Parts: sequence; C-alpha cells; structure tokens
Amino acid sequence: MRQYQRNATILAGAAAIAVVAGASFAQEIKQDAVKAARMAKVPSVGQDLLNKAANDVNNFLLTNGDYAQTRFYPAKQINRNNVRNLKVAWIFQTEVRESLETSPIVVDGVMFVTTSFSHVYAIDAKTGEELWHYKHKMGPITTYCCGPNNRGVQVLGDLVYLATLDAKLVALNSKTGAVVWETQVADPEAGYSETMAPTVVKDKVLIGTNGGEYGIRGFVKAYDAKTGKLIWTFNTTPENSVGVWAMKDATDRDMHRNIEAEKAQLAKTGDPYKTLGGGVWQNPAVDLAANRIFFVVGNPSPDLDGSIRPGDNLYTDSLVSVDLETGKYVCHSQYIAHDVWDLDAVSPPVLVNAKDRSGKTIPAVIHGGKTGHVYVHDRKDCSLIRFSDAMVPQENMWVLPTKEGARMLPGANGGVEWSPMATDPGQGLAYAINLHQPMTYHVESSPYPNGKLWLGGAFKVIPSEAQSGNITAVDYNTGKIKWQVKTPQPMIGGILATAGGLVFTGEGNGKFAAYNSSNGKELWSFNAGAGVNAPPSSYSVGGKQYIVVGAGGNTQLDFKRGNSIVAFTQ
Amino acid sequence: MMFSKRINVALVSGLCALTPAPAAAQALAEQVAVCGSCHGENGKPQEKVTPIIWGQMRGYLYIQLRDFKRGDRKHEIMQAMAANFERDDMLAIAEYFSQKPWPDLGQPRAPKEVAERAVRANGSVGCTGCHFDQWQGDGTVPRLAGMSREYLAKAISEFRTRARGNNPGMSDLMLATSVEDLAALAEYLAGR
Repeated sequence: MRQYQRNATILAGAAAIAVVAGASFAQEIKQDAVKAARMAKVPSVGQDLLNKAANDVNNFLLTNGDYAQTRFYPAKQINRNNVRNLKVAWIFQTEVRESLETSPIVVDGVMFVTTSFSHVYAIDAKTGEELWHYKHKMGPITTYCCGPNNRGVQVLGDLVYLATLDAKLVALNSKTGAVVWETQVADPEAGYSETMAPTVVKDKVLIGTNGGEYGIRGFVKAYDAKTGKLIWTFNTTPENSVGVWAMKDATDRDMHRNIEAEKAQLAKTGDPYKTLGGGVWQNPAVDLAANRIFFVVGNPSPDLDGSIRPGDNLYTDSLVSVDLETGKYVCHSQYIAHDVWDLDAVSPPVLVNAKDRSGKTIPAVIHGGKTGHVYVHDRKDCSLIRFSDAMVPQENMWVLPTKEGARMLPGANGGVEWSPMATDPGQGLAYAINLHQPMTYHVESSPYPNGKLWLGGAFKVIPSEAQSGNITAVDYNTGKIKWQVKTPQPMIGGILATAGGLVFTGEGNGKFAAYNSSNGKELWSFNAGAGVNAPPSSYSVGGKQYIVVGAGGNTQLDFKRGNSIVAFTQ
Repeated sequence: MMFSKRINVALVSGLCALTPAPAAAQALAEQVAVCGSCHGENGKPQEKVTPIIWGQMRGYLYIQLRDFKRGDRKHEIMQAMAANFERDDMLAIAEYFSQKPWPDLGQPRAPKEVAERAVRANGSVGCTGCHFDQWQGDGTVPRLAGMSREYLAKAISEFRTRARGNNPGMSDLMLATSVEDLAALAEYLAGR
C-alpha cells in the first residue's frame, strides 16, 4: 500500500509535467528490474548437493527441506535444552508489505526469499544485508484468488528459479539477480497464475499452476533447467475424467451424489475436463530412487456447483504420481470424488517410510488434508493404507451445499490448508497445522465464464461461531494423534521440525514459537508484530545454527500484514 | 437517469462521427478524450452511477473493455465504444487511466455501526481476499475504496440479478450476502 501510494504521487506529478509539456499522456515509470547492491557469492549448486539436502546442516536447499519434503532439519545446535536462549539475529524488511508465504532457501550463507508480487531478494544470511533484489515487471493481466503470494525459489547450478503471478517461469543469475531466461507457462487471461516455488531436479524445472477458481485445465510441466524449453506436460484433468462414480470418500463416508443426474448431464454436455480446474500449486515430492514425483491436485471448477461437471472429476482432490523423465501417469488416489466443498488436496505430500497394514515398513507418502485427516499411502501404487484421527471437528459431512447455505465442518479452508507439514522420522510423527472455521456452503449455477472467478456458490464464515486453530502431531504408523496444541486463531503457513527435538511454527497474531516435538510443550516464543504465516527454515553459517521465518501476515485470512524476514540464533 | 443516458449517447455518437477513422489508427489521445465525457475530464465522473476509471487497476480496465467488446458485459454506450478497439488499444487505454491519480469524491466516512457491519460481512465472505486489506485492488481486481456509493450499489445490485454477467463468482458472493450487509459495504467503501 505504501508503494502504491508513492507510485500514485509520482504518477500524478508525471501527469502534471506531461500536461505542461503538451504531451497527451503520462510516460510509463520504468521499474528497476534488478538492483544489484553487491554480488552474492553463491557457489554453483550441483544435483549431488540437492540429493543430500536431508543431511545438510549448513544449507536449506529445497522448499520443504529435501526432495522427500520432510521439513525435518538435521542440525541440533538449537535444541530443547537451549532454545529458550534464542534471540533475533537480524530483521530484513522487504519493500512489499503483503502476505508472505516464502520458504527461505539458503546456499552457503546466502539466503533467497520472495514476497508477494513475485519479488526476489538475495540476503546475507549472517547479517541480513541485502545483496540483490529482483522486482518482476508484472504483465498487465494477473488473475488469482487468495493473495498475490509467492512461496519461494529454488537454485540449481548458477540459476535461481522463480514462478510469477503473471504465469511466467524466470531463471535468474544467482550472483546478480539478472534474468537469464523467461518463459510464459500459461495464459493469465484464462485464469492461470503462479505462486508456488518451482522444484528443480535432474536438469528439469517442475511447475504446476493456480486457477481452480477460474475454470482452468490444471497441469504439471517440466522445463529444461538450462534453456527454459518445455519437456513434458501432465494434464491433471484427463480427457476421460469420469472415473468410477465413487459414492464414498477415502474415509468411506457417503457423499450423497446423484449419479443418475450426473450421468444425464454427461450425456448432454460431455466430459468437462477442459475447464475442470485441478490446479497444482505446491511442490511435488521427488522419489529419487524410483524416478517418480508425487503431488496433490486441487479442487474441480466450479468449486461448489457439481451439476455441470458430471463424474468423479479425475484427478482433482487426488494424490497423483507420474514418471519424472516422461511425465507419464503412474498412479493416483482420490480423496473426494466430485467435490462440492473445496475440501481439496493442497498441502504438499511427504515421502516417509511407514508401516503398512501388516506392520511391515514400506516406502509411503503422506498428505495432510483439508478434511483434517493425515492420509498414508503406499508409494508403489498410491493406494491408501490408513487415515488419521480427525485433527479438527467434523460435523454434518457430507451435506450438500444449498442456495440458503448448509453448515458443515470443516470449513472450506480445512483442516490443513496449503501449509506444508513437517515430520520426524525417528519418532514416526507428522506435524500439521490446522484451521477450525465453521462455514455454510452455498450453491449457485452459472456456465463457464472465460477465465473469470467461477465458484458455483460461496463458502461463508459463520460470524457468530468461534474460530480457532491447532498444531497436531500424528503418528503416521498408527493414525493416532500423539499431541495437540490449541491456538486462538486458525493456522496457516507451515511448520519445521528439527533434530534438536523441536518444532517451530507461527500464528496470525504474530506469535512464533518452538515446541517440544515429543509432547507439544511450548519452550520459547517471540512476537513478530505481523502474522507469521510462512513456513520456517533453518541453516548454519559461521558455526551457528539459525531459524528464519517470514512475518507478512496473510491475505486470505486477513491476518495483519508485515514485510519482515526474521532470523534467530543464540 | 434515462435523460442523462440519452445525452451521453448523443455526445459519444457525435464524437464518433467526428473521428471516422478505424480505432486502431486513432491516436490514444483521441480515444481517451472520449472517455472523459462520462468518466470525467478530471477523473470525477459526471454521474454518480458512473465508475471512476482514473487510478483504477490496469488489468481490470482492460478486462472490462474486452468484455464489453465480447458482449460478456452489457452497456449500450460502452459496448459501442469497445466495439472499435483492438486488444492493444484496450491495453493502452487501460494503462493510460491506471496511471492517473485516483480522484477524491469527498464522500463521508461511514458511521461506526455501518463500518462494523461492513467489516463483519467482509469477514464472512472474504472480499479482501481478492480486493486487499485497503480495498485497493490489484491486477484484474478493481479498487473499491473511494468509489462512488451509487456506483457500488448499482454494481452490487447488477451482480445479484446477474444483469452484470461478466463475473459469476462475484454474483455468487453477492447473492450469499444479505442486502443490508451489502448496503453497509457500499457506504463503508465509498467513505474509505
């Protein structure tokens, strides 16, 4: 807003000058593409280094820590015994005061963070000094719901990869922030935008898309990391999206579908796959050994009106696995077929080793759902092994939305929203942050609107009912809740576990805290003055471990905005 | 209302008659000069039900022009205007007006109880999730803060009846919100 007002003033001045000079319109004010205060001394990041990220006690290389997305940081200098001594090392203020969802990436003492509107900063991770700033020159058309967010960058070789609100993929020089290549991923005018951090692996850059509220056709694409050339596209809504007419969700509850009416609609209008939504806006987990990726696919379009999109709406609301080299389908597991509540799958999946039903430990993949369950799947065929106890109240599931509004819990934000989970493999625990927001679900019907907001109704928070949140530790080998900490507000952002026996997470009221990862006991906290609604990272530089997190609030939940990246050490 | 519309139609067709060249060939200056006759030479619209376009979001202005041309948004004058524009014209016009300063219509701040009702309604459907915390808009989402109360009320009403059909998501949200809450929102936003 500050920047907005300043621009308005400058432009007013420019307009006045233009009038005096007899020109007919104000000149465009050019943005600074790059402000290189000084070079960032970043070494080239090889694939080997990325492969070993899970054991790297100095760097934080991938959005969710490592390719398995465990968010388990292996350093333990900061631990249960000394976390009370944690103090602010530095605070970096970005020039964008809006929702911060960035996962800070750290390479050899240089940190890369992003802000809303697709800015990137390189910062000295020890001192908090700015090294360079990339300010994306945004195209005229951006179409997105839920905030102009950006969740971070990835680094491979000498390039930093960013995906932008105007649906571009950009590769920057890691030392200077200069643009090396740029490619248009999809058309923003048709409802596409980018907020996720790309995933870089084996010379590919993987990227999905937002747009589930705009009738897009979702995808995951792989680009050549060196040139930006498209290698493959996996469409998340296949040409036959009908599926098996599932009557029950993954937890065996009746979804009250009118299959007869859906079949009649299908005969009339055909398969709805072209405008069926199915965004992918969180990172895939990469199984390096199997050469496969696992990602979750978001809601069908329109969100609440199922009448015009007959069938199971594959692969919306699903865990999907595809081959890393070719993008070919391997397997999927759908949580909610023909979803009309937007209780879709968004929190990034995590690869763990978990017990199957016979008690044998197998390669598994887990996902924290908006439904409030943690789902555990067999990585081999995506099949569901178990789902956890509900982490939030569930009431009236699955009542169908009505014109007047039908109350059902959880509300449409979850459960677990996009917030990545953390895990502790030694303890067999997954840590999820949850929302409790009682809502009514309303349905309205309208045809595909050419890339416009297409909700098919509304989800309304019930103002008279209290909202809250929680941090929940789930034993993924049994599905039982190990511990739970209640918070005064719904939680969104993310969580980090460390080998120091801790979990770190933040709240909309500015609180950022450390908890004992075995029992949830609070051991330390700090108030950042704006919503801490971003996933924390950790790293070490100069022999000292740091914890870092963004405090910028959240647009979607209207948590207090800020512009700070806060680093802590002892 | 009827009266003023007739005047505007006459004015616009008069201007069109003076500039018979194809739109693509028209200088931007000529194109935007026409807009001022309704939207105001100084950014303050002639009629209260006419929206402010000075300082409005570039993407939003472009999309509205595009939709008038496509017929996705209906308005006798605007459809006639946009019919002659190509995509580049619309982008240039949108850019031009987006860089003008937002005019202050001097509308009063909403009383406390009205503001509270508006804030509660926002908390329920989440307007600021797209329009932002200062209701300043971005990209293809318009600024609402300081827009004229009469235009806001008209737009809301037309979304509710789907007379304005170029954003069904907005229609759905307006239909899910009570008329009383929407009246409070219009008053609250006008005074911001």
